[in-house]
Amino acid sequence: MPPAAALATRADLFDPASLAALGRIELIARWVVDGFITGLHRSPRKGFSVEFAEFRPYMPGDDPRYVDWKIVARADRWVVKQFEEETNLRATVVLDVSRSMQWSGSPARLTKLAYAERLAAAIALLLIRQRDAVGLIRFDEAVRTSIPPRARSAHWRRIVAALDGPAGGRDSRAGEALAQTARLIRRPGMIVLISDLLMDVADVDRAVRALRAVGHDVTVLHLMDPAERDLPMAGEALFVDPESGLEVPASVGDVRGAYRATVEAALAEWRETIAAAGGAFETFLTDQPFGVPLRRAFAARQKLP
Amino acid sequence: MSFLAPLWLALAGAAAVPLLIHLLRRRIGVRVEFPAARYLARAEREHSRRLRLRNLLLMVVRVLAVLCVALAAARPVARLAGAGHAPTALAIVLDNSLSTAAVVNGRPVLDRLKAAALAALADATGEDRVWLVTADGRVGGGSVATVRAMIERTEPLAGAGRLGDAVTRAASLARSAGLGGRQVAVLTDGQASTWQRSVAVGDVHVSVYSADSAPPENHAVVAATARPGHWTPRGAVATRLLGRGDSVAYRILIAGRTLARGIAPAPRDTLSSDLLVSAAPPERGWVAGSVELAPDELRGDDVRHFALWVGPAPSLAVADDAGPFVLGAVDALVQSGRATRAAGPGGSGVVSVGPADRVTRLPALLAPPADPVRLGAANRALERLGVPWRFGAPRRGETAVRSTDSSGADAGGALHARDVAASLRYVLIPSGAGASDTLAAAGREPWIVGGAGYVLVASPLDVSATTFPIRAAFVPWVAEVLTQRLASDAGAVVAAAPGGLVERLSDADALEPAGSVERIPIAEDRFAAPARPGVYFFVRGTRRAGALVVNPEPEESLLARLDRRELARRFEGQQVAVFGDVAAWHDALFTTAARRPLLLPFLIGALVALLVESLLTWSGPRASAGRALVAG
Repeated sequence: MPPAAALATRADLFDPASLAALGRIELIARWVVDGFITGLHRSPRKGFSVEFAEFRPYMPGDDPRYVDWKIVARADRWVVKQFEEETNLRATVVLDVSRSMQWSGSPARLTKLAYAERLAAAIALLLIRQRDAVGLIRFDEAVRTSIPPRARSAHWRRIVAALDGPAGGRDSRAGEALAQTARLIRRPGMIVLISDLLMDVADVDRAVRALRAVGHDVTVLHLMDPAERDLPMAGEALFVDPESGLEVPASVGDVRGAYRATVEAALAEWRETIAAAGGAFETFLTDQPFGVPLRRAFAARQKLP
Repeated sequence: MSFLAPLWLALAGAAAVPLLIHLLRRRIGVRVEFPAARYLARAEREHSRRLRLRNLLLMVVRVLAVLCVALAAARPVARLAGAGHAPTALAIVLDNSLSTAAVVNGRPVLDRLKAAALAALADATGEDRVWLVTADGRVGGGSVATVRAMIERTEPLAGAGRLGDAVTRAASLARSAGLGGRQVAVLTDGQASTWQRSVAVGDVHVSVYSADSAPPENHAVVAATARPGHWTPRGAVATRLLGRGDSVAYRILIAGRTLARGIAPAPRDTLSSDLLVSAAPPERGWVAGSVELAPDELRGDDVRHFALWVGPAPSLAVADDAGPFVLGAVDALVQSGRATRAAGPGGSGVVSVGPADRVTRLPALLAPPADPVRLGAANRALERLGVPWRFGAPRRGETAVRSTDSSGADAGGALHARDVAASLRYVLIPSGAGASDTLAAAGREPWIVGGAGYVLVASPLDVSATTFPIRAAFVPWVAEVLTQRLASDAGAVVAAAPGGLVERLSDADALEPAGSVERIPIAEDRFAAPARPGVYFFVRGTRRAGALVVNPEPEESLLARLDRRELARRFEGQQVAVFGDVAAWHDALFTTAARRPLLLPFLIGALVALLVESLLTWSGPRASAGRALVAG
């Protein structure tokens, strides 16, 4: 278990399963984002606009230049000034909560869904701390949750609360979810899809192309359990897809090589498709620290104006 | 390839396990929830051909691994090309009997056998021990060069030899060498008469090469006999010729002079034909003769030798009370010119005939007096004559008489008659020393005995005492006794095969080959007959005392061969192989020693199969490639 001091600094680099055992999503997300921000180099963007929007509590990592010293002096409250221009970016995290996401190849690892929820919370927190508006869409065979983007800090708690919503549908209709996202964000913004992508490429391709057509920046974070990549089991078994009910009898030893080749080909196909549609694509494993996908999401954000 | 522990081959049944797994692999009961099952299905779909091939290959290598283990457990041994052979004791038995001198396809069979033996010898190494055993029992060993020289010098025998004994000897030699490989290589023409009895060879590996060419038609003289052995001075030569197909020219010689010549017609239904040629040669004493045929493919049996003694007709002094049957028989001999009547019992060369009490000198044909009162006088006369027998108690009652000629040489006088019975006879009691032959017996007691200068009958030669005088064989028997056995002490004729054992005759001290003055001394009572066929006279001092006639065994002229299966049955052993092809026979030599254990190769094979199986099932590099796909 990581020591408390270390958690306060670089929790984003710890084993996600070990970290998740320490607290709820909200707490974990904070630790991760705090650690992540600590590790960041100072951003070259000076970025806050002159049009004041609101105050918000000071958070570690905030630039001291924006601390309102008068309020500190008067009320002994540490607040920073937020300006309207910061909220120009509207981001939405689109989270796949289908039944396939509730699977883990090992008890020592988080399920894909648990990992994705913590990652979504962290991304949302990170963006809100950057004064971006963040929304959330959860979907499986239908859109389960739809939270429009907001930049207020209290909005993050709403997002975290929504992560506990119903899930486990027998299909992943990412196309519909992304279309719903387009309806939520009128202006061009950033859309982060977190999914195991066990779905048709064409549906996602069409949706991404549609989002890109209206100016949205799309980042696809593909989540995999290591067992889905390596097929480390042994012996003969009947493999059953929990979503579609597809049954595949196989001798792991015999088919492992072909399976890995197929996964490799499928990932290449996803990568090419998303890239061709103008989106960004990255694959992560559920045994990787949260900081890795978080960095990818942050990098996507940094590219945006 | 053979197996030292063949029961372990049952382990090969385990090869069915991977086969069954391969066939039943789709009937799986374990269910595993796996979201990426679509990739699995796609992998099987897209790589189905490769997967099937791989699965098939896996099944094959697994089956191969199990088979290799099973074969290794069974301890296989096999002859490997270029592997050489372990030190071997090789005894070559070369059949050089007379029949191998037969010319087949322009070349003697023995030459082929010798060539094959030399070729076999070429494979021998310095670590091998090699012997040559020939049909006459000659054994030679030592270096390969020595044995090779012996083979090259080997000539065909004049007779059959003892090939069975040679094989036994060879097996014993191979066994006693103490080397790992023990082998007897037999080269023979496969003559049926040679291989009449089985030969025990034990655990020695025996490879037999039997010439597979068809034997030639053979004409031979299988019998040539002077009848009777003592001509006085007339006689006949009885000849039996072997051969079918063509007529054959023959010639009969006595003392180098042609007695008769002619063409013997080919017998139609039988294998042999008989000739009987009478003559009265002018020579006296022991004479050598021969019967010769025109040469054919087997020369050794185209000549057959015989010996005869020629002398004057004997003078007979017959007692008045010898009885009508004896008197009648003597009259018949005199009338046929085979004997003359002597003026009285005295004189040299006179043979006496009559009751024992009336005979005053030997040689004599003796019988008990018809009147029992004269029996004592008869015994006294026997004592006076030096006859070592006495008449004992009379035996009445009909007793069958049978021939019991126990003499080594046919000195004459044997009873060749059936249905002879004695109703009155006197027990013949031996008295004193002296060699004698029992020529006939009544019950278990001697009835006719013969010795030096006498023949003694236990019954009066009258129908009141025996049926012998009224049997057809009586006159010939009387003639043989008087003219052959008693007329002279010239000795007898002994027949022998080349190299066969012979009893020394009449204390002879040497053999004198006919037509030669060079003598062969005789040191033992039993000695080996000369290897060269011919007539050899027994010599005692300066006098010829009989004749030894050496001829090949008649059955050696029968060239019919055994087939390979029959020939194999003649060997009682654990590892016997008979070949008709000399190349196959040659390949089989040193086989036992050349066989190498294949345990290690099969274990390596199993290991390789398992290694291939591991490589087929190992997918390490692909896993690494998969990891490279994800960010980190």
